[in-house]
Amino acid sequence: MQRRRSSKTPKQPLHVFHKSQTDLSAWRKGGRINPEKSLQNNLSSNDQKYDSQESSLEQALSYLEKVQNPVALKKNTVLQKHLATVESTALQQGLPPEAFEILLSVVLSGKFVDTVNTRLLKSLIPTSVIPENSLVTAVSWLCASKCSSSIQLLFLRWLITVFDFIDHKEQLHALYGFFFSFLQDEKMCPYICHLLYLLTRKESGESHLCELETILFLILFGMQSYLQALLSLYKLFCPEQVTITLPGKMKTYFKNSEGPWKAAIAAVRQRNQGTSPLSQAVFLGTSQPQSRKRKWNAQLVIPASSTNTNNLEEDREKSSVESYSANESFPVEQLRTFPQLLQNIHCLEFPSQMGSVLTNPLLLHYMNCVKDESIYLRLYYWMGQMLQEECTWCVVDNPNEEEFKSFLNTVYKAECFLQEGLADCEEFLYRTLPLWDGVCCRSEVLRLVSWIPLSSVSDIKSYLYDPLAQLFYTSSIYFKCSVLETLKQLLQNWLNCNVIQMDSEFSSLNTTLSGLVNVVAELVHFVGRISTIALRLENNSTFLLYFILDFYETVCDMYLKYNLPLLILPPAGVFYPALLCMDSVNLNQLCYIMYRYRTNLVAAKENELSKKKILQFKFSNQTYQEYNQYITAMVGCLWTSSVFQKDIHPQGLRMDDELLSKTAVKELKTSFNIVYHPAMMGYSVHFLQQACPDDTTFNFRLIKGKKWDWYLEYLYAQGLEGLKVFIESSISRVSQAARSKAENMQM
Amino acid sequence: NFCEFCLSNLSLSHLATSLPLPSERDHLRPRIDLIVFMIDIKSKYSLKNVETSLAYVDASFFLGKVCFLATGVGRLNSCSVETNVICKLGETYNSPVLFCELEVRLATAQRLLRILQICAGHIPGVSALSFVSLMRNSYDY
Repeated sequence: MQRRRSSKTPKQPLHVFHKSQTDLSAWRKGGRINPEKSLQNNLSSNDQKYDSQESSLEQALSYLEKVQNPVALKKNTVLQKHLATVESTALQQGLPPEAFEILLSVVLSGKFVDTVNTRLLKSLIPTSVIPENSLVTAVSWLCASKCSSSIQLLFLRWLITVFDFIDHKEQLHALYGFFFSFLQDEKMCPYICHLLYLLTRKESGESHLCELETILFLILFGMQSYLQALLSLYKLFCPEQVTITLPGKMKTYFKNSEGPWKAAIAAVRQRNQGTSPLSQAVFLGTSQPQSRKRKWNAQLVIPASSTNTNNLEEDREKSSVESYSANESFPVEQLRTFPQLLQNIHCLEFPSQMGSVLTNPLLLHYMNCVKDESIYLRLYYWMGQMLQEECTWCVVDNPNEEEFKSFLNTVYKAECFLQEGLADCEEFLYRTLPLWDGVCCRSEVLRLVSWIPLSSVSDIKSYLYDPLAQLFYTSSIYFKCSVLETLKQLLQNWLNCNVIQMDSEFSSLNTTLSGLVNVVAELVHFVGRISTIALRLENNSTFLLYFILDFYETVCDMYLKYNLPLLILPPAGVFYPALLCMDSVNLNQLCYIMYRYRTNLVAAKENELSKKKILQFKFSNQTYQEYNQYITAMVGCLWTSSVFQKDIHPQGLRMDDELLSKTAVKELKTSFNIVYHPAMMGYSVHFLQQACPDDTTFNFRLIKGKKWDWYLEYLYAQGLEGLKVFIESSISRVSQAARSKAENMQM
Repeated sequence: NFCEFCLSNLSLSHLATSLPLPSERDHLRPRIDLIVFMIDIKSKYSLKNVETSLAYVDASFFLGKVCFLATGVGRLNSCSVETNVICKLGETYNSPVLFCELEVRLATAQRLLRILQICAGHIPGVSALSFVSLMRNSYDY
């Protein structure tokens, strides 16, 4: 087949070239002409005058194609001129699809010297697509080995870089075996592995794995990372045939082969943005029109050419919901509705551009239910590379921060949809967080942090908590608040996963309950520590306190809401600043949190006493003790004015009577409660003005007896719900009259 | 490209390419609150320079008044000093390491300024020593 194809090549390019002459000119006007229009212009365009550059690209191509004898570059000014034309056109506008077959044949047939071939290969920058046919021709030339090995390598690197620009891939898949045979070439092996990695599908994996010899050969070759990558892919497709064990995750499997093309392609795409209907048509396929241009964004759209396009035409005739038979695959770009997904779930094949899965909810559904490791592997491979190459704080030359942001956002949305973190994203964060300045793409990065999967305590400590804490301590208060918000999300995500896991009662995840409890406890302790320090650094900022208490709102309900046998009280460094804060919102929130702690602890105690369940875990007495200490302080502070005498917490507010008497506050015993608390002062003043309009001396002692009850009612009416539930639950009032004898409830 | 900041007070900062500082102006030199050693990860020489300069720093500075700033992380591909070598250095000298890219430095400058505020004693209740030990091992007390 190879030979036959090669013999055909001399004719084919000519044919293609002539047929497409007018298309070429339409393309070159680079304009907003749509394909139909350019067809209408077919005849007239021949008469149109080309500017000098236009005609010379055509001339250059036909010259390069027709020249017979190898000529030296130096002496030949005509060749130099044409070469320069090709190069400049390629760099400015990219080359039209038709040019590839000609140029690839010229290069790989080895008719020129290597300098010319290299220059031509380097200028193979597509405007829109690269026709598959041209690659088939190229591969047949490659098999004929007429060019030097350096050119062969350069061609392979080019092919890997532009892989996603190839319009169809069916025939390339058919050439899988030819590529496979090149594995034996030591120099080409890394690039061939990369190419095969991109090309491998289930069938190809199966058929080629059968040759066990080759695998043995691969192993003998030494376990290079690129061979490992390919083998791991094969192993996923047919695990029974690959018996050797492969080492765990590798950071990068393949060398970067993008060479000089990537930047040029990006530049050309940028230049042609929105102006080339051709280029868009490819990427849009039959999916929704979107204006995504750059590499990864373009790959987020399922291209029409992604799977077997032959199905496309037939399908138009069939009704759209008709099921496909088992050996025929349903083109994913036509997947529109959920019923369609259900009906064709047995014959779906993922697109060759895995990135497009991220933006497609139906494919995400599918990915979630097929449990096919290879899909994740392909997605991770693609994502890992994107994140590494485009990360704006690791690659300072990358000016496209906005695009990187939107990419991170897409990943985040996919994670939200899947309700789980993607492993590659985790690795990316672990690798780059120590280098992050905390500003670049802040909200996007932090959102991704909130989906870091639950893993071992030591990993999370050294890769997440350490770099995050360093940033946290040295960054602004706003950053601190965003980090706290993120960690709350992270905690909730972990807890939610746990609830799902417990409900379904399958422990496929390798986390045991005690493992989970440890990891969650570590997170809560971590937040407790950084909050304590942050409050000191930021001078007990109200704003910061709000975010800290928000985190504890989740913590205090873990037992009842998430069924996790774990309750951790805030450290004194958080509790006391909150208790003595200057604003009622935070005080109210603290009251609510302490009320929820109480509810959870009471429920736990009841469960323990009734012994309904065999309890694997129970709260230590220390937790109850700590809670009681805090409650004593709160009641003393808000109700009995006895906090300075009764507080027994080692870091609490207890003061000696001598010291207290030095403050010269009269009537110490009644002067620090819900009326005098700095956060409540505004309310008590307002209440006094309404209750005793005649009194202008602000005699707060008037608030007692019946007025005390009114005052409480007034506070509740002001929306202090947390205070209300706290007082009603934790302060038992013997009788309305003897209210001041309130005691804290002992548990 | 290598330099060493000696920042003193909030507004004053001094640059020196290496230590020791010339002795003739010793009497005019203000108090030193923080020494920032800058290491360009693209140059092995800059690491060496810092290592030799460290010998001239009085031991008391390592109680919270030294920090390392590794620059050039925006071009990790062309780095010639491994990041964990720098982290090791920080561990050895009990001082925090910050990574940054000089081409985008506003955020890092603000972070340094915050460290300086603490080292100069402008934040009540937080001492340079306690802060730096926090920065070093943030999780195990």
